[in-house]
Parts: sequence; structure tokens; C-alpha cells
Amino acid sequence: MMQLRVAVTKYLQADRREFRLDVSFESDADITILFGPSGAGKTLTLQAIAGLLRPDQGAIRFGGRLLFDSAQRVDVPTRQRDIGFVFQDYALFPHLTVGQNVAFARSRGWRQARSTDTANRRLLESFDLAACADAFPAQLSGGQRQRVALARALAATPQLLLLDEPFAALDAPLRARLRGELLALQRSRSVPMVVITHDPDDVSALGGRVVLLQDGQVRAPP
Amino acid sequence: MQAFHRRRFVALCLAAALITAPVFAAELTVSAASSLANAFADLGKAFEAAHPGDKVVLNLAASDVLLRQLEQGAPADVFASADEVTMDRAAAAKSIDTTTRRDFAGNTLVLIVAAGIKVPEALEELNGAGYAHVAIGNPESVPAGRYAKQALVDAKLWDGLQTRLVPTQNVRQALDYVARGEAQAGFVYATDAAVQKDKVRVALNVPTATPVRYPIAVTAASAHAQLASRFVEFVVSTDAQAALGRYGFTSVAP
Amino acid sequence: MPVGALTPLLLTLKVALCATLLATLFGVLFARMLGRKRSVTRDVAESVLTLPLVLPPTVLGYYLLVVLGRNGAIGSWLLDHFGITLIFTWQGAVIAAAIAAFPLILRSARAAFTDVDRSLEQAARTLGLREPAVFFRVTLPLAWRGVLAGALLAFARAMGEFGATLMIAGSLPGRTQTLALAIYDAVMAGDDARAATLVWISLLLAIVVLLIAARLLQRHTP
Repeated sequence: MMQLRVAVTKYLQADRREFRLDVSFESDADITILFGPSGAGKTLTLQAIAGLLRPDQGAIRFGGRLLFDSAQRVDVPTRQRDIGFVFQDYALFPHLTVGQNVAFARSRGWRQARSTDTANRRLLESFDLAACADAFPAQLSGGQRQRVALARALAATPQLLLLDEPFAALDAPLRARLRGELLALQRSRSVPMVVITHDPDDVSALGGRVVLLQDGQVRAPP
Repeated sequence: MQAFHRRRFVALCLAAALITAPVFAAELTVSAASSLANAFADLGKAFEAAHPGDKVVLNLAASDVLLRQLEQGAPADVFASADEVTMDRAAAAKSIDTTTRRDFAGNTLVLIVAAGIKVPEALEELNGAGYAHVAIGNPESVPAGRYAKQALVDAKLWDGLQTRLVPTQNVRQALDYVARGEAQAGFVYATDAAVQKDKVRVALNVPTATPVRYPIAVTAASAHAQLASRFVEFVVSTDAQAALGRYGFTSVAP
Repeated sequence: MPVGALTPLLLTLKVALCATLLATLFGVLFARMLGRKRSVTRDVAESVLTLPLVLPPTVLGYYLLVVLGRNGAIGSWLLDHFGITLIFTWQGAVIAAAIAAFPLILRSARAAFTDVDRSLEQAARTLGLREPAVFFRVTLPLAWRGVLAGALLAFARAMGEFGATLMIAGSLPGRTQTLALAIYDAVMAGDDARAATLVWISLLLAIVVLLIAARLLQRHTP
């Protein structure tokens, strides 16, 4: 089991509106759900874990690795954290094909990764994306895009996968199906996941440890 | 006078002063060749002192450029060029009042070198290794360049020096390039060399086919013909001639 | 001294192309360095880098003459170590035009880079890429149209560069006398026929450049 320990604060100000994030939780579950209404600070917390947001104070540990510690001045850059991220709008590279998107992490250099080899093709097949390997993200449906985002993040074999409202843009039947696929994925690859959602149905379907967030703070479950 | 009448009187005086002031104070535009810059700045101030209320505005450029402006209707009152050829063209184009044309100064063409550069003793030496760039006014639009080109053509050096010659927009730009050392040598007037005497050295006098003469005339389209004539007369007067002499210009027999 | 009309045209193309390449290289580099964040230091830096756009060309030419001349800070260094002089050479003309055109690319490039969706760059970081790789594989491919538009503006500016070029490169027929300078000299010499020919050539050149620009920028519009 990989343990995730997060205890961070962040103060944000924009256009006279303030927001204070002050979250602290631990989890060693396979699936951790950050649950709460919009504006609760769920995305900010996820970004902090990924290193996309620098907290003002605190520490973040995962799997025994210290990722961030304001007291010890540790801030591991995003690219070294080995943490996958599925963005709310999927953030697919519009200028690359599905195959190239998924293969992206396989080259860390300046040139685009090769997307036509067997390993990549197998990965695409496992996500049911082989047929649209040469299509561009703009030509895909919502469900297909979500699978591309997942495949791309997992192709980098991360130690932890973060998903920001992965089912929000999809209709109900698709959501139900994809929840099941995500669960199966988690088990087959044994990658711990942190999932953000404001939908209670996601919570009951996915199970796992639930962390309630509201107004930037963790609330005790009722 | 009662208070009300006094105020009206004062107001009337002010109005009169404001309305009539422009009529008496004229602005004279003098188009003068670049080599006359310093000398004419002094002459302009002297003329203003002698004619309170009048202003002299100097328009400096290569003589041919000034001619172009006149041909296109530029509102200059006086034209002073660095050679007769340009003034002849102005006359042919009916841009000047030929009755007012006078020669007022002479000059010498010299070869100057930058500080630290070996002083050549003859024009032929310009073909040597130490003179990568030789500044010369563009002969197509600068009289100093025309004088220099004629001298080089006469000495049969013109073709051979083509790759070294750097044509400039006016004689002062040639002087500046030599003063900076960007050009190792250059052709300017003796009066120009004197202006930068701490940065350039006169190597030799360049004999010109025709003597360097500066003519001056009132323009045909001048709006202040009378005042302009007085300026021309002033320039040929003894005092002005003495001032020009201090800059190194030679005087011409009237 | 005057040469045919073809020579100034070819020289103008050579100088403008080299200047645009040079300006694009540095424009993109500095735009990337200025980045997305706005801070007092970055705004001051951008203002300084934009000065050539605002300074009168003769002022720019004067400063270049002082710095690049044989007694100048850079000019004397070049002369002593490499035996290179830039004054009165076409390379000097390239530098004058490049500096004049640089601010146009800087602004266009910075705007284009900022327009790229931030989450795309963040996704690339979560996939393990270092900053240069993020720039070359995500930012630049998505911002190329903005950069190209800036480069075309820069090319037009470089073609018309006059004041600064005149001071440091002079108007040497066949060597540094570009179209703009040739037209000026022809007018000053009273050769209206030659001036007219050169003006027509400049006009044709400008139209051709604009047509090419329109085609390059329109091709990929969805």
C-alpha cells in the first residue's frame, strides 16, 4: 500500500476574492476520493500533489517519498514526481493524433515520440482506441477523449494517478460504464488513484477512502 | 479716465500689439550647404541681433538636397550652395532671383586622415593597405564629392579606388566617419577639418579643377524678399566676411 | 556609381531574410524567457527590449555606430579578437534591421505563447518532460502561427529599414545600398526615373510578401 500524506495551506487572491486552502489528510487506500461542492478546493489540492501548485506551507509525502516540505525547502518538480494527471478538460494535445498523445511520455527529449510501434499499439488496443489512433482529439467523442487522457497518463507508468472530475462531461450511461472501467483499471495496474468528484453516485460506485472538502478545509464525515 | 474706459484702452493696446507683432517680426529660412553650419549659425545670430524681432532659421543639408527641396516648392528665403553648378541649376529652374546672386566665400578641398593613421603625401597612397575606407560626399548630390571626384578622375585614381570609397549624404557625415576612425581618410573642406581638428589631421590640399566658390541668392518664391536681400547683403559685408574668415573660409573678390 | 535596379533588390532580400532569421531566433528566445508571469522586473525588461520600436531610427543608428564602431565596446572586441568590422558592411545592415525588427517578433511571440492553453503545458510536465522539451513539443507547435505573423511583420520592417542602416552600413552601391537607400539617393541626385523604377520594384515586392503571408497564415484554418 502506498501512503499519501497531505498537509498544506495556500492563500489565493484574485479580483478582491480570497481563498484559503488548509487541507490535511492521510490515505493508504487504492482509491481516495476528494468529495465536495464546487469551489471547495479539490482541484487546488490535486494540483498541489502533482506539483502544479506550490503551497505556502506544509508537506506532501507519497509512498515514503518527500515531494514537498516548506520547512525543509523541498519542492520536487512536477516532471520528477512520477504522478499522472487526468485534467478536467482532458488537456489532449490538439496538434497530435491519438496515437501520438498516448505515446507522448515515451520520449523525454525534444522530438515527438514514435507512436507506431507495437508497445503503443497494444496500449491503444487495451483502451479500445486502436480504431482512432490516427484521429485528432477534435474529432473524438467525450468518452473517447477521456480514454485517451487516461491511456496517456498511464503510459508513463506513474506511481500515483490523479483524476480531476473524470466523468463530469459525460452522460449518465457513459459515466456508469466508465466508472466500472476505471475500477478495473485500478485493480489490473495496481495504481493508487485520487479522484475528484462532486457526484455522490461516483462515491458509492468507486468506494475507497472519502475525504470531504468544503471551503478549503477537510470536514469530518457525517 | 474712468476705470471702465482705462480698461478698454489697455485692452485695445494689447490687441494692437498682438495683431501687429507678426507683421513686423519675420522668420527667414536660410537653406545653406552643410559645410556652412558653424559659420552661418554665428551669422544668423548676428543678423538677429541687428534686426530685433526677426529670426533666422537654418536649413542645412547637401547643396543638391537643398536644390531638390526648392524645386519642390520648399518655403526657403535664401539659398547658399557649395558650388556654382548647383546654383546654376537653381537659376535654370527659376528657383532663385538671379539679380541677387553673389559669391560670398571660397574654400579649399583637403584630404584628411583619422587619428593614428599614417599621413599620405600624395593621393596615390590611398591605394595602400592602410586605407580600407575613404569617405567622400556622394558626387551625385554633394558638391564636395564632386570636387573630390573630379580631382581623382584627373589623377586617374577614380576607378581604382571604387571599392574603398564610402559615399556619404553630406560633407559633414564624411568628416564624422573619419573623426570616428570608421573611415581612415576622407575628402572634406579645410573649414570642416578645422571643426574637428583634434580628431582629424589634414594630409594635403586637393587641387580642384574649378575653385571652390560659395554663391548665395534670394529665392524666387520668398515671402520676405526684402529681408532676404538684406541677409544676402549682410553675408557679403565686411563684418560677416571677417567672421567667415575666422572659420577658414577664403574671401572672394567682389 | 549607380548600379542596376536588380542589385538593390537582391541585396534587400538578402539583408531582410538574414535579419528576420536573427530577430526570430532572439525574439522567440526572449519571449520564452519573459514567460507568462507578469512582474515589475519582467515588464521593465520587455520595455527595454521594445525600445528599438519606439526610438527614432537615427537615434538607434547613432547608438549602434557608437557601440559597434571600432572604438565601441562590442566593435573593438570584434576587431581585436576576430578582425571583424561591421561598419559599412551588409552584415552591419543585417544587425541594424534585426534590432529594428526584433520587438515585433518579441511581442507577437509572447502573446502567442501566452495564448497556448496552460493545462497543455502542465500535462506535458506531468508526463515527465523538462521545460525545453515542453516548449519545443507543445508550446511552439501550437504557437507557430503567431510567431510566423510576427516574423512576417519583422520581414517587412527589415525590408524598409533606412535610418539606422544608413548610419552604420552607409549607402554603398552593390554592398549595402538596399532598395530604400537607393530610392533616397536617386531622389537626392535628381534621378526621378531611377527613383520611380525602384519604387515600383519595392511596391511589387511588398505585395508579393503580403500575398505569401496571407497564404501561410490561412492554410490551416479549420
